[in-house]
Amino acid sequence: MAATSAYNSPGFDFSNTYRNQFLADRGVPLPKATSTGTTIVGCLFKDGIVLGADTRATEGPIVADKNCEKIHFISDNIRCCGAGTAADTEFTTALISSNIEMHALTTGRKPRVVTAMTMLKQMLFRYQGNIGAALVLGGVDITGPQLFTIHPHGSTDKLPYVTMGSGSLAAMAIFESQWKPDMEREEALHLVTLAISAGIFNDLGSGSNVDACVITASGTEMLRNFVKPNERVEKERRYVFRRGTTAIKEEKVRRWVVDEEEVTPVGGEEMDTS
Amino acid sequence: MPDGSFSHPQQRQFNPYTENGGTILAIAGKDFSVIAGDTRQSEGYSIQTRYAPKVFRLTDRAVLAVNGFAADGNMFVKKVQQRLEWYRHAHAKDMPLGAIARLIQTMLYGRRFFPYYVYNILGGIEEDGTGAVYSFDPVGSYEREACRAAGAAQSLVQPFLDNQIYFKNQQAPAGQSHPLHLPLSDVLAIVIDSFTSATERHIEVGDGLEIYVVLTKGRPTQDLEGYRGVKELTTRPDGDRVFLIQRELKKD
Amino acid sequence: MQTVDMQQLKAGEVNLGTSIMAVQFKDGVVIGADSRTTTGSYIANRVTDKLTHVHDRIYCCRSGSAADTQAVADIVHYHLQILTQQSGSAPTVATAANVFQKLCYQNKDGLMAGIIVAGWDKEIGPSVYNIPLGGGLFRQPWAIGGSGSTYVYGYCDATFKDGWGKEETINFVKNTLALAMSRDGSSGGVIRMCVITEEGVERLFVPGNELPKFWEGEEVLGKPTKIIPESPAAPMEVEA
Repeated sequence: MAATSAYNSPGFDFSNTYRNQFLADRGVPLPKATSTGTTIVGCLFKDGIVLGADTRATEGPIVADKNCEKIHFISDNIRCCGAGTAADTEFTTALISSNIEMHALTTGRKPRVVTAMTMLKQMLFRYQGNIGAALVLGGVDITGPQLFTIHPHGSTDKLPYVTMGSGSLAAMAIFESQWKPDMEREEALHLVTLAISAGIFNDLGSGSNVDACVITASGTEMLRNFVKPNERVEKERRYVFRRGTTAIKEEKVRRWVVDEEEVTPVGGEEMDTS
Repeated sequence: MPDGSFSHPQQRQFNPYTENGGTILAIAGKDFSVIAGDTRQSEGYSIQTRYAPKVFRLTDRAVLAVNGFAADGNMFVKKVQQRLEWYRHAHAKDMPLGAIARLIQTMLYGRRFFPYYVYNILGGIEEDGTGAVYSFDPVGSYEREACRAAGAAQSLVQPFLDNQIYFKNQQAPAGQSHPLHLPLSDVLAIVIDSFTSATERHIEVGDGLEIYVVLTKGRPTQDLEGYRGVKELTTRPDGDRVFLIQRELKKD
Repeated sequence: MQTVDMQQLKAGEVNLGTSIMAVQFKDGVVIGADSRTTTGSYIANRVTDKLTHVHDRIYCCRSGSAADTQAVADIVHYHLQILTQQSGSAPTVATAANVFQKLCYQNKDGLMAGIIVAGWDKEIGPSVYNIPLGGGLFRQPWAIGGSGSTYVYGYCDATFKDGWGKEETINFVKNTLALAMSRDGSSGGVIRMCVITEEGVERLFVPGNELPKFWEGEEVLGKPTKIIPESPAAPMEVEA
């Protein structure tokens, strides 16, 4: 084991690896990461790509966030849906977004979807599946509309319709039975909504609202909370507590204001010049 | 090391139990008892059915809620119902609530070393006409309580009930004390809010809600009449009465 | 021979539980593969292209971990481009195969990749190289790989003959893959093939419903019958 460095190297910090392994061997459970037990999809249509996602984030069986955003920004013309470990999807997409911007600045060209795909797959492969990000990458570039899936170990697929996450089977059932080539924008958006809804209602890991994103050569349209089929009903009672409900067990008053008296000495010592 | 090699001895075993999600709860009032459960049955991330009742009317004065492994739960309810039927044939009356509770204890403990993987909550009217709730662990330990939640969202619902029913962490206004029993309308509101809230934050809770209300003999029913979709399930006149309220819950 | 050991795959890894093949003939090589990619029992991609371009006349067939084989193929593709720029001429199949072999051998601890390299070059014409799991390198007149290959070694040994033309070789590849796909659960979908000759690369495609048919057990199971329901299925009654 290398001695701990006084400098912070860039990238991940592995300095707690040995300690954590030791704790795990002693039976101390490691903290659970928030996972987006998710439904995310992508769909090719006549002049672009529609991406879709649900908005539930879970920690085991508990809903951690009822309305989270799973469609991440890569560039103006490229977006990426993330499933798996929430932190991993957020940081990988943010990192690649940054690198894509740098790449676009150095080349002076509009970024391509394959470039983002290659960066993502090479990063995920380097980490051998330890970065738990399952991604759906879509966008429109000089070569036309492009759609990819990227698995946590770094393998990629290029298909006209794709799904990922725990609700991917429910969503894929919709695509496999209803997708057809050269759909219109509205038709594709409707199909993506159906696919995400299938995940929301049939997969416990997915829920709440449908987010969608339409990318064409003329621009990108982010449709946040495109459909909201799961609004909470009004509560039967109001839970406002009367003032004084919380018992005061002890009362202590401490004086924080410090009285200060400024004394200006008259004369003062002379500087020692010997 | 599960590497598929034969260098280490490996043992594999069939696991006869599954956790089927869902949540149940019961609250006892002065002269009534409310027993409720959601109707979703799940396994892992899949919904097996959106309507599988977990709460069952046993007699006109006893309702049993079962939660945990659904196959065991259904079989257990069936066996309890069979024993109550035999009791009726032998004694020409329904078994009293306290006796049913003791019966359930012996039936659960009888399977001490291959337990029914279920948490039971029995609610109803005692022979003295008071509302009662009995809660059990899978091997038969039980106690009478004023309220109890069990199942997937127990850790979400029980603290809420402790606060709202037992007034835990709530100081009463000076010179006053908290009520011992809440009125039925308040209890029903708390039950519905418990389930809509559990549905919001627990993925295994949702789809439908069934609330059983048992009223003691001769108690007026006007505070039940305001509820939509109330059904009476009482079988015999001039005794305790059972009602069922069905509600929809979110399906995501 | 290499088979995919499911236990060795990392949890949730995407797998090419594959049937792949390459055969050389007088003027070139025919390579072929099924199109199934799986994660556990789920088919993640049913129209995968496992025939991967690494140079103008050199392709590889990938089996094992999808991530590993894609990464290796991408690296080899990069090396061959550099090599071409430096030498000013197209690399030989042997060169490409050696680059593959080196990567597969030196990283054998971390890789799950069974690769067949095939193509045509100016020096020796058509050639097929097999690089099984440990990172060996074997030149063969024909090679099969992936989990489906175990079912068809006998068929290949009994059928293959030297001196075939293009059409015979294509049929051999098509029939072998169809047989492997019918027996191996982790192989299936469509057949993709490439004919690589001096003239270029010709892609061939056999849809899943037009695969060659062999014995299907009619003697035992009877003729397949098409069942046409008289009326649309009535919805099941559900207690509510």
